[in-house]
Amino acid sequence: MSLNTSTALASKLPQAKDLSHLLVPTFRIHQKSPFKAVMGTPTHDMINMAGGVPHPSTFPLEQVQATVRAPSHAALGLAGTLSLERTQASGSTESLNELLQYNDGRGMASYCRFLRKFTEQTHAPPYADWDVVASCGNTDSIAKAVSLFCQQGDHIIVEQYSFPGALSNLVFAKVKPVPVAMDSEGVDPVALDSLCSSWTGATPLRAIYMIPTGQNPTGATMSLARRKALYAVAQKHDLVIIEDDPYYFLQLGPMPDTQETAATDMSKLPLVPSLLSLDTDGRVIRLDSFSKILAPNLRCGWITAPAYIQDRMQILNESTILQPSGLTQGVISRLLNDTWGIEGWNEHLNSLRAAYSARRNLFVTLAHKHLAGLATFTVPTAGMFLWMRVDLGDAAADATAMPRLLDAMKKGGVMMAPDMPFRVTNAAAAAAPERFLRAAFALAETDMFEPALERLARAIASIRGSELQDTQSGTCAEPIDTMAPAPIAVNSST
Amino acid sequence: MAKPHSVDLSGLFTEATRVRDNSPLKSLTKYMEADSQLVSLGAGLPHPSTFPFAQIGARVAPAGASVANTAPADMLNVYVTTLPGAVEGLGKFLQYGNGRGVPSYAAFTHEHTQRVHDPKYSDWDTVVSLGNTDAFVKALMLFCSSGDTLLVDEWTYPAIIGTVVPMNVQLAPIHMDGEGMVPEALDDVCTSWTGERKLRMVYTIPTAQNPTGATMSIERKRAIYAVAQKHNLVIIEDDPYYYLQFEPYVAPSGTERYTNLPGIKNLVPSLLSLDTDGRVIRLDSFSKVLAPGLRCGWVTAPKYITDKIQFHNETSIQQPAGVSQAIVASLMNDQWGHAGWERHLVQIQREYAMRRDVFVDLCLKHLNGLVEFTVPDAGMFLWFRVLLRPELQSQTGVMQRVFDSMVANHVLLVPGYMFSPKGAEQKVRDEPYIRAAFSFAATTDFEVAITRLAQALAPFC
Repeated sequence: MSLNTSTALASKLPQAKDLSHLLVPTFRIHQKSPFKAVMGTPTHDMINMAGGVPHPSTFPLEQVQATVRAPSHAALGLAGTLSLERTQASGSTESLNELLQYNDGRGMASYCRFLRKFTEQTHAPPYADWDVVASCGNTDSIAKAVSLFCQQGDHIIVEQYSFPGALSNLVFAKVKPVPVAMDSEGVDPVALDSLCSSWTGATPLRAIYMIPTGQNPTGATMSLARRKALYAVAQKHDLVIIEDDPYYFLQLGPMPDTQETAATDMSKLPLVPSLLSLDTDGRVIRLDSFSKILAPNLRCGWITAPAYIQDRMQILNESTILQPSGLTQGVISRLLNDTWGIEGWNEHLNSLRAAYSARRNLFVTLAHKHLAGLATFTVPTAGMFLWMRVDLGDAAADATAMPRLLDAMKKGGVMMAPDMPFRVTNAAAAAAPERFLRAAFALAETDMFEPALERLARAIASIRGSELQDTQSGTCAEPIDTMAPAPIAVNSST
Repeated sequence: MAKPHSVDLSGLFTEATRVRDNSPLKSLTKYMEADSQLVSLGAGLPHPSTFPFAQIGARVAPAGASVANTAPADMLNVYVTTLPGAVEGLGKFLQYGNGRGVPSYAAFTHEHTQRVHDPKYSDWDTVVSLGNTDAFVKALMLFCSSGDTLLVDEWTYPAIIGTVVPMNVQLAPIHMDGEGMVPEALDDVCTSWTGERKLRMVYTIPTAQNPTGATMSIERKRAIYAVAQKHNLVIIEDDPYYYLQFEPYVAPSGTERYTNLPGIKNLVPSLLSLDTDGRVIRLDSFSKVLAPGLRCGWVTAPKYITDKIQFHNETSIQQPAGVSQAIVASLMNDQWGHAGWERHLVQIQREYAMRRDVFVDLCLKHLNGLVEFTVPDAGMFLWFRVLLRPELQSQTGVMQRVFDSMVANHVLLVPGYMFSPKGAEQKVRDEPYIRAAFSFAATTDFEVAITRLAQALAPFC
């Protein structure tokens, strides 16, 4: 992974544009909690009888420790044991007494410090006053980010297939998703421009929510050119971009030319730059998570945004989660700051890229082998998802075909995610839907890939009513766009 | 004798709550579990071999011992590895799960709730939370949405005052006395309510109330519960200080005390324990009894309600951090057990009782004629009514000057108006209340703090 080092350029960067006109009315006025303001009253020699917080002598933990592996996934052996001590800082990381105490809604200092450094190195945000705030994962961050810009009855632009956790949040917030067309590279900026230009809804479009890398569910990754074009459209229409990017660091190597898995040195393979790295205006709210790059149930991530937006995010945190678990932030901080350091962290990320590449390579090779004439797909260049357009042949027009396929798959012993939970429909798309399955190739054991695909092939064939062809010598057609852009109806709502 | 089933209050759910259901993707996992021959490529989960932790653990004081006074050799070790043992393996604690939490953590909180409260209806259940602030939001959103009004103690926890604003939920404050919310006042407000939308929920902190320190007696709780039944209200019982109950204060405190702490057998019974209808949503937290930074707690309510909270968790925070759950679950299951946990709670009571006693002794010694207060029987808060001179009472801006005087004298307490839903009104800003917390400062600093407070208040009294 290439390192983007920042230089003295940072001090010459512009401030973020003031986009507070896009905030919902409640959040336009800066509202630091008066209670917190009292707690922050700084004076020398003050005795604090204000904070209703427990004394750390009541915390029964003397030490927390973890044994961690060496950064490289392929390497055997352990990097050693990291520990957190009760009263003393450990390396860069606060004492247990501090980690276990009530803290503010921004995150532990050592955790945030590492993430600022890592964000600067990876994205070098092109404006001066950005900051990071700790989160407990992207689903919660999505809900909070949306609530800053959209209230009940508002609309938000989303990809035409999207993450069900986000879509559910929109339902509960009574914010209506407006789908924008995608192709094999993700959001189509021309379609986005057209959608915004012809919008006549009661409230303006202020934000777009998108997953630009290893998209869930389509696996699509936007190229740099595509991202620049999208950013220009967002500027033109004054949109906030919620960049949900949990698979960003799982960008994969090239498919091998031969049957042998090419060993790619991931450290030499640059990452496609993020939307944050293009964000000269400060209109990107970037959501990062440790879920796919450390572990999902750490419930830790971070949000990068202009400082004035983060002040609102802090208020949202303080009226809900407060912060992610201080203990967990401490473990992560100790691991990334000290035990592995940023070099070890980059090594770990590259080893994940290699591991996911190997899985993708095997799965795609087997999918080409077994699904010729039955399904088509674009080879993913990031993440863990293969999005297959199922060719149901003569049965395609039959509304019961997809449920029957899912049933046949289950009976045949294979499961994939059907398209319905991901789909954000508009009238045109609903009328003649293409049908898809999402396969995740991260979790199942690799020796089950072939049986799974064989079973899928049999199930599709049974719905088509045709004999399963001998696919040993066949391959799928050249990867094609699996999603023709669906015409976007003006004022579409779902 | 069989316990009754809860009363069905789902007719009071908000529209959003009605719609909350199992995630369609998470519900695929039940097929996986049913058929071991089935290959699932359905869930977007990473492989546990990519989690770089081989073991996570902690050194902990024995149950009931103070960590500062425990020799290193006597510390207990709790740990979780990749292999299941007394609790699940790291593959479970660190992987995506559902909104119910890791089973060993969830089961401990469920069993503890049974031991302490013995809920009186049959279909009660528990669900994990990240602590009571987040749990409050989830409980509130079950039954209240934009345009609704929530009944609250007239002085209440500041975070909820901020939370309801963007939700467009109003707060209706109910008068309190030395025991907390006054049942007749609650009844009056409900009976005379003419708002467009009917009242559905009342939120209260019945033990060591924040900020007044008031604790409801069992009779008070019965009366409040009866009013809630009469008006078909759901009660949010926010009870993070529940275990911090003490023996009554006797002046002056002596050194040979704390032989009669309530433990868990002699606590004032909770609203949950009186709840025959299933109309109490009880919020419990480890924040004041283990540590706030774990961000761990749980909610008790009828199962059809905890299911909804589970689904809400799944579209937000998922569950408490796996590392926190791992430490708590292995501590409780592998070392302390319920008996040890209950001994630990006595030790916490001892710590807070001692602080209360030292603090109240000093208040009685130094603040005579300056303040009046009810001695708290629980918790960490003391609510002072400043005895302003008659000509200063209700003088515009007087309490701001009192606050400035405290700051000038290097002692920090919290102005009362910050705890009022009507705190923006100047009239409320001049109400003569301040809250002291005796939980955090060193007890050796208490006398200095109180003498500084006396100096700060003297010019106004």
